[in-house]
Amino acid sequence: MGAGLEKLAALREDPYAPARSWKERTGGKVIGYFCSLAPEEMIHAAGALPVRISGENRVISKSGAHLQSYCCSLARTGLDMALEGELSFLDGTVFVHTCDTMQRLSDIWRLNAGFVFHGDVVLPVRFEGDLARDYEVKELSYFKERLEEYLGDIPDDALAESIKTYNRNRSLLSEIYGLRLENPGVLSSVDALTLAHSSALMEKSEHNTFLEEVLEELKSTGPADGSKVRLFGVGSLMDQWDFLGMLEAVGATMVDDDFCNGRRYFDALTPEDLAPVEAVAARLWERESCPCKHLTKRDRAARLLDRIRRSDARGAFFFLFKFCEPHGFDYPYLKAAFDKAGIPSLLLEIEQGSVSIEQLRTRVEALVETIKI
Amino acid sequence: MSDEGDNLSLTQIKATDQMKQLMVEYYIEAKTTTEKPICWITSGGPVEFLIAMDVIPVYPENHGAMCGAAKIAPGLAETAEEMGFSRDLCSYARADIGGAVKQDGAIPGGLPKPDFLLCCNNICGTVTKWYEELSRYFDVPMFLMDTPFIHTTKTKHATEYVRQQCLELVGFLEKQTGREFSLEKFAEVALRSVAAVELWKGVLKTAESRPSPFTCFDAFIHMAPIVTLRGTQQVVDYYELLKGEMEQRIADGIGAVPEEKYRLVWDNIPIWYAMRSLGNLFASNQACLVADTYTTAWAVDIKIDDPLTSMADAYTKVYLNIAIDIMLDQLLGLMEKYQADGLVMHSNRSCKPYSLGQYDLARAVTERTGKPALIIEADMTDSRVYSEAQVRERVEAFIESL
Repeated sequence: MGAGLEKLAALREDPYAPARSWKERTGGKVIGYFCSLAPEEMIHAAGALPVRISGENRVISKSGAHLQSYCCSLARTGLDMALEGELSFLDGTVFVHTCDTMQRLSDIWRLNAGFVFHGDVVLPVRFEGDLARDYEVKELSYFKERLEEYLGDIPDDALAESIKTYNRNRSLLSEIYGLRLENPGVLSSVDALTLAHSSALMEKSEHNTFLEEVLEELKSTGPADGSKVRLFGVGSLMDQWDFLGMLEAVGATMVDDDFCNGRRYFDALTPEDLAPVEAVAARLWERESCPCKHLTKRDRAARLLDRIRRSDARGAFFFLFKFCEPHGFDYPYLKAAFDKAGIPSLLLEIEQGSVSIEQLRTRVEALVETIKI
Repeated sequence: MSDEGDNLSLTQIKATDQMKQLMVEYYIEAKTTTEKPICWITSGGPVEFLIAMDVIPVYPENHGAMCGAAKIAPGLAETAEEMGFSRDLCSYARADIGGAVKQDGAIPGGLPKPDFLLCCNNICGTVTKWYEELSRYFDVPMFLMDTPFIHTTKTKHATEYVRQQCLELVGFLEKQTGREFSLEKFAEVALRSVAAVELWKGVLKTAESRPSPFTCFDAFIHMAPIVTLRGTQQVVDYYELLKGEMEQRIADGIGAVPEEKYRLVWDNIPIWYAMRSLGNLFASNQACLVADTYTTAWAVDIKIDDPLTSMADAYTKVYLNIAIDIMLDQLLGLMEKYQADGLVMHSNRSCKPYSLGQYDLARAVTERTGKPALIIEADMTDSRVYSEAQVRERVEAFIESL
C-alpha cells in the first residue's frame, strides 16, 4: 500500500484532524456545513475552509434536550458534537434548505451552538425552470454578501480560481471512480468512498495533491481480484466504514453509488465560462439530484438504473437514515423500478451509534447469495 | 364528518349541523361532479385560484384528519406500509396513499381521483414527496408552489419568486382546465376569502373572553370550511353564523368548559383520534384550551389592492414556514392575548417542521412568562403510538402544577 492510501484509515478515525491542523497552521476561518449542496466554492474563495459535518457513531447526551428521538441521527449526533464543544474549531456554520429536519436544525443550531457566523442558503426546492433559477442565483448572491460581511470580499477572479480547484478535485475523483468501474479490485469500496468523503474535510488543493498521489499509486497497481459481486449503493450520507468493510468480507463490493458524500458530491463540473455565481448555481442543478429537490423532467429511477447498468452492478442496497423522509418516500418507487429491471435490492435503515454489523451481515449475505445463483 | 366530530364541546355548538351539512355537500359534489375538474391541494395551498377557476379542491390532509378521528387511519396506513412506505413517515401521507390504493377512507369509496395536483411546500417538505408519489400513482401533473423558508430574513427575491409562481400557476390551471382565468372573478374570490378569514379571526377572538365560549377542540372541527373552501360565499355565511353564536354565548355568560379555571394554549396538529378523551380530560379538570397555533394558521392577510403580491407574502410567512424564534414571538403573543396559564405541546411524530424545536420553545416560553409547558408525545392520526394512560397521568400532573 502506498503512502496516499495509508492516510485514509486516519481520516476515518479522526475526520476533523485536517481542519484543525489547517486552522492552526494558517489562522484561517473554518466554516462547517451539513449538506453537499452548500456553495463551498464561495467559502473557499473567501480564504476560509469549508468542512462537512456529518455526525458520527455516538450515544447522544446534550442534543436530546433539543431534538426528539424521531429525527435522524445525522441531526442528533451532529448537534450533540456541537453542544459538547467538539466542533470548536468551527467559526461558523452554513445550512442549506433541504429537508424539514435540517430546516429546524438550522434554527436550533443558530440559537444554541454559539458559533460566530450562521448562514442559511434557502435554495429553491424546484430545481428546474427559469423562475427557480433566477431565484437561486439571487439567493446565492445574497448568501455571498452575508459571507463577505464576515469573511471579507470575494472577488470574481478568486471565485473563478476556486471553481477551477474544485473542478480539478471532481475530475480526479471521477477518474478514480472510473478506475474502479473497470477494475473494482484496485481499490476497496471503503477506501474509494473515504477518498470522496475526505474531500469535504480538507483544503481542496491539498486534497487534489493527495488524490494525484493516490491516482499514481492506483495506475501502477496491476489487475486485481475482479470476482466480487458488484453492488450499487443508494442513500444520503454513508459513513459506516465497518459496513463497507463487511461488504468486501462477504465477497461483494460497491462499484458505484448515489451517496451525497460519494458520487453525488463530485458529480458534474461547475461551468468555467459563466459568471461565477451563475456557474455555481448551474452545477447544483446539473449534478445528480437529491430527493429533497423537485424535478419533473428527470426520472430518478431511470437515472439510477442507467448508472447501475453502466457500472455493471448486479444488485443494489439502500442505506438510509431512519426517519429520513425524502429518501423514505422515494424508496418504494425506486425499489419497484429496480425489481422491474431485474436488480435485486436490500433496504437497510440505520441510526449512527446503533449499527449492528452482524445483523446487517446476514442480510447482505442473503442478497449476495441471491445474485450468485 | 366522523362521529368524533360530534359534540366535542360539553356545551353543544348549534352551528355544527350547518358546518356538517356544508362539508357533506362539498364532498358529495366532489364525488359526483362530471363537469368540474378535481385538484388535490395541500392545506397551506392557495385555494383561491382553484375556486376562481371552478375547480373543486380536495384536501388529503382534511381527509387524513377525518380518518384519524374515525380511527381508521392505521388500517389505511398499513396498506402504504406494505408498499414499502416506512412507519416513520408522515401518517397523513401513509393513510392517504393507502386510501388511494384501497379506494377507501372516511368518505365512502375514498377521495375522488384528482385530475391534477397543487402542492405548496409552505407547511413542510413532506408534502412535496407525498405529492410526487400521488403524481406517479395517478399519473397526473403536479404543480409545486415553492415558498422559500424564512429563517432570519424574508427576502424580496423570495416574495418575487412566489409571486411569479402565482402567475405560472394561472397558466398551469388554464392548461389543465381549458378555461380562461378571469382576474375579475379572482378578485371576487379573494374578497370573499378575506371576508371569511376576518370572520374566522373574529370567531377565534371570542375565546379571549372569560369564560371562553369554545375550546380549541371545537376550533379544530370548525376550521374545516376555512381550510377547504375559503373564497366561497357559503364559508362567509357559515362563519357569520358561528361568530354570532359565540358572541351570544359571551353575552349569556356561557363557557365551553363549566367553571373554567385554567386557560391553556395548544401547539401542533390535533391528536385526532384522542380529541374526545382529551377534551373531556381537560374539561373535567376545569381547563379550557382557549387558543392554538394550528387554527390561527389560516388567518392569513390578503390585500385586495394587490392580491398577488400580498398572497405571495401571506402564503410564504405562515406559521410553519418561519424560524422558531419568530414562532416564539407569535406564541408569546397568543399566550398574552388569550391570558393563558400554560402551554400544551403535542410533539407529533408525523410532523417534523411543527415538532422539532418544541423543546426549545417550551423552555423559552417558561423562561419568558413563568408559565409551565407540557409536552405530549403522540402522532396526529397513528393511534398505534399513543398511550392514553400515560397522557392522562401527565395532563393531570400538569394541571395540578398550575
